Amino acid sequence: MNLALISVELVACAWILVMLAADLIVPADRAGGPAARGGEEMPRAAERAAGRRSSFWLWALAGVGLCAAMLMGQTQTGTFQDMFLADGFSRYFKGLFLLTTASVIVMTREFGGLSGEDRPGAKARAPLGAFYMLLFTALLGMLTLASINDLLMLFIGLELLTFSLYVMAAYLKTDAKAVEAGMKYLILGSVSTGFLVYGIALLYGFAGSTSFPVLRQALETGPVPLTAQAGMLFVLAGLGFKLAAVPFHMWVPDVYEGAPTPVVALLSVGSKMAGAVAILRVLYGPFMPLAGIWAPVLAALSAATMLYGNLAAIPQRNIKRLLGYSSIGHAGYLLMGLSTGTRAGAEAVGYYLLAYLFSNLTVFLVVVTASEAVGGDMLDDYKGLSKRSGGLAAALFIGLLSLAGVPPLAGFVGKLFVLLAATSAGQLWLVAIGAVNVAISLYYYLMVVKRMYLDAPTTAAPIRLHPSTAAALLLLILGVFAVGILQEPFLTAIATAFAS
Amino acid sequence: MPLAPVLVTLLAPISAALILCFLKDAQQALVRRIAVAATALSLLGALQLIATYDVARAGYQHEVLVPWISGLGIGFHVGVDGISAVLALLHALCAFTGVLISYAIKERVREYYIFYLILIAGVFGVFLSLDLFFFYFFYEMAVIPMFPLIGIWGSDVKEKGAVRYSKEYATMKLTIYLTLGAVVALVGLLWLYVQSGANTFDIPALQRHFANTPLSPELQRWIFPLLAVGFGVIAPMWPLHSWSPIGHAAAPSAVSMLHAGVLMKLGSYAILRLAVGLLPDGAQYWMPWLASLVVMNILYGGFVAMSQRDLKLIIGYSSSSHMGYVLLGIACLTPLAVNGAVLLMFAHGLMTALAFAIVGQLYDQTHTRYLPDLGGLAHQAPFIAVCGVIAAMASSGLPGFANFVAELLVFLGGWDKYPVQTVCGVFGVVITAVYMLRVVRGTFFGPRKPAFNHVHDAGTLFDRLPYVVLILALLVAGSWPQPMLRLIDAGTRPLLQPFLGITP
Repeated sequence: MNLALISVELVACAWILVMLAADLIVPADRAGGPAARGGEEMPRAAERAAGRRSSFWLWALAGVGLCAAMLMGQTQTGTFQDMFLADGFSRYFKGLFLLTTASVIVMTREFGGLSGEDRPGAKARAPLGAFYMLLFTALLGMLTLASINDLLMLFIGLELLTFSLYVMAAYLKTDAKAVEAGMKYLILGSVSTGFLVYGIALLYGFAGSTSFPVLRQALETGPVPLTAQAGMLFVLAGLGFKLAAVPFHMWVPDVYEGAPTPVVALLSVGSKMAGAVAILRVLYGPFMPLAGIWAPVLAALSAATMLYGNLAAIPQRNIKRLLGYSSIGHAGYLLMGLSTGTRAGAEAVGYYLLAYLFSNLTVFLVVVTASEAVGGDMLDDYKGLSKRSGGLAAALFIGLLSLAGVPPLAGFVGKLFVLLAATSAGQLWLVAIGAVNVAISLYYYLMVVKRMYLDAPTTAAPIRLHPSTAAALLLLILGVFAVGILQEPFLTAIATAFAS
Repeated sequence: MPLAPVLVTLLAPISAALILCFLKDAQQALVRRIAVAATALSLLGALQLIATYDVARAGYQHEVLVPWISGLGIGFHVGVDGISAVLALLHALCAFTGVLISYAIKERVREYYIFYLILIAGVFGVFLSLDLFFFYFFYEMAVIPMFPLIGIWGSDVKEKGAVRYSKEYATMKLTIYLTLGAVVALVGLLWLYVQSGANTFDIPALQRHFANTPLSPELQRWIFPLLAVGFGVIAPMWPLHSWSPIGHAAAPSAVSMLHAGVLMKLGSYAILRLAVGLLPDGAQYWMPWLASLVVMNILYGGFVAMSQRDLKLIIGYSSSSHMGYVLLGIACLTPLAVNGAVLLMFAHGLMTALAFAIVGQLYDQTHTRYLPDLGGLAHQAPFIAVCGVIAAMASSGLPGFANFVAELLVFLGGWDKYPVQTVCGVFGVVITAVYMLRVVRGTFFGPRKPAFNHVHDAGTLFDRLPYVVLILALLVAGSWPQPMLRLIDAGTRPLLQPFLGITP
């Protein structure tokens, strides 16, 4: 047993416990909503200050944990008990998962409902330490998914991630929308888990093992019965839910609208990336012999996903819903890369995820920060944002354009590589649909830009940025430009990662 | 070579835009000076490119190649041949004068110049790139800044006081049309790249590769329309032109100058450089269709221009009509006509830029572009009126201006190849004369209108500089076209090599 292989996961595990205990140690008014606090004698100002302090300590503690996990890194390669694979691929994606979680931690501080700030109409505050604990469980799930080498590990990783997200989505438990979001996510998620488990069972029945290498060998050698093929498709369906691909996308708009925004960011970037990583692992691992079956299925789903996501985003009035549909559209591009079944396609997906991570986290960080100041998540709330905070508006502009795929930003290169891989694989019709979708998506992204830059603001009050938010935004934007302009170093990293 | 003129030309506006990002909104004078300095540097760079271009040697020169993504054969490859050198000069002239004209912009000055400089850099990038990846990269980089530029600093198109096209509508339509065109072209480019099997995005390398192992004519016939239509949107090719006049009309004058002067030339340049240069068999097959299509450009655009009442809409439709000549010249695929087409891009660019500068100058003061409301402005603004008459003369193709030489070459070349289309096209000249004379009469001549007494002329030397520069360039290229034609020929000759044996 070489524990160094799972060092990052161990740190994440440890921090789950630390954050759980932190709620007890850090002095905080965990009493809950304003009603509960009404009878207390502590003056409200002092109470608010105490709340801010405690939430700051929890925030810092979570940050420390994440830094520790990042410093641990994964230096060695090998398999842990045959179930857990530590290779270049997992290292690459673990880096991305840690980056995502770090951004979500920064966002959590900005998000009023969670940060311990009382605002007019604020919801009852839930214990913050437990929220960070769930963040670390979700992280653990994602980290595990990057290293799966067994169907059981796939299931465990996925459920760790998904269960954390169920709770996090409904974390503001007095907010009806958030509860609805959590409920919807739970029910639809359970159905997809059912698919996954059924698929795993069928595959186990066929191969007699859940291990990837054994499964692959069985699929390569023997005739593959219909049950095993169905099992594979069920597993893909379960993962398609994480990816938010059509037709497993129904949960997306409502959950995106209702859940706390940092959780949405985690859903949109981390969870989607985890889904893509798991699909990469299974498709290019055990399911490779069946490429003839899954490639056309994924190609068809890709076309449907892109068209549905981007067209349905057009009439949206709420920015979180809009981003939800846009994230469905992006799942379509990921599927396009996956459906090629080639190494180039897999690498393009790796690049696309990197670009998507930087662009989408930029967008969500702005949305979290701005929604507090502009008073809502409706698109019309963003009117005249450029006059109130040039930095925030510019960041959102850059993030959205990158999502749309405009050079010199990250999203452009990601899309280009995916389209190129699909062209090389001879799927010209899919490339054409993907290309047209760039123009469609540009339309609704520009509608947001139009409100920010062209329309007049309702109030002129400038928006101030917290240094941590400003620094995070700056880093993310630098990432967007770096991934968009200097492709070579990232490509090399991806090429080494995908060599295994 | 750190100071290669190509790099100076390309990087000056990019660096200026970056510097502006870190300045404060209040430092307006500094912002403007930086923009002027950057475009002046680019102009010097472009002049240097032309001065040191070795016509005898022809082909691509001043090349700079930095490997970028080695695995895919993408390199940052910039350089010029005769065609792009001339167009880079055109763009440098329009950008420089456009920045001077932009002194009329009074609000959100810093943001304006940032977007404007990105636009300028993008267009330079397209003209100077010799790599498909960077060609597309800069192409999109040039399109997107148009959105805020028109949306924020533009103006609604009004008719009889009512809004006919809002600037939001105009800018969204423009951006979506151009992006849609770009992605269609992108599909074609990716297909071309994959089918070539050369594993390179490098344009000269692809040309060399195709010279030995050409793509099958069948395939070229499929890919050519993707490129021609995709890039044709920005040219703007009828019937995909409708974004263009509205976009011109809604844009602030300096942006209209670049838009009509240079941006439209990106389309014809891309068709010439990529579609014709890389797919000769496809071009051979489709060009008669294109030639017929552009007759619609010329006549339809001309007739619609005649019936407009908004000055900018008239010039906008006129531009799409005149771009028909350019495309007709390219469709001929003979050196004579293509040289004429390239020279016409240059001449028409300068002329339109001049026209939009004049309209902008007047609109800023009269607040109307509605032809029936205007009149008699020669009394208040004699210098502008003279410039206006010159622009109208150049537009109608009077001898002495570069437009005359260029149109003549296109018609001469076209007569050999497509007599019917050319005869129809020649009528466009008459139509142009009709609406241009009407514009001049309706704007500048007639009795003095007291309502416009507050209008002041471009009085100082600084105010007059942009007009003088543009008119001077038009006259020099028109009265002494030989050096420029030789330069263009040095670019078109290698490009048209595949056709010279086949054409009758």
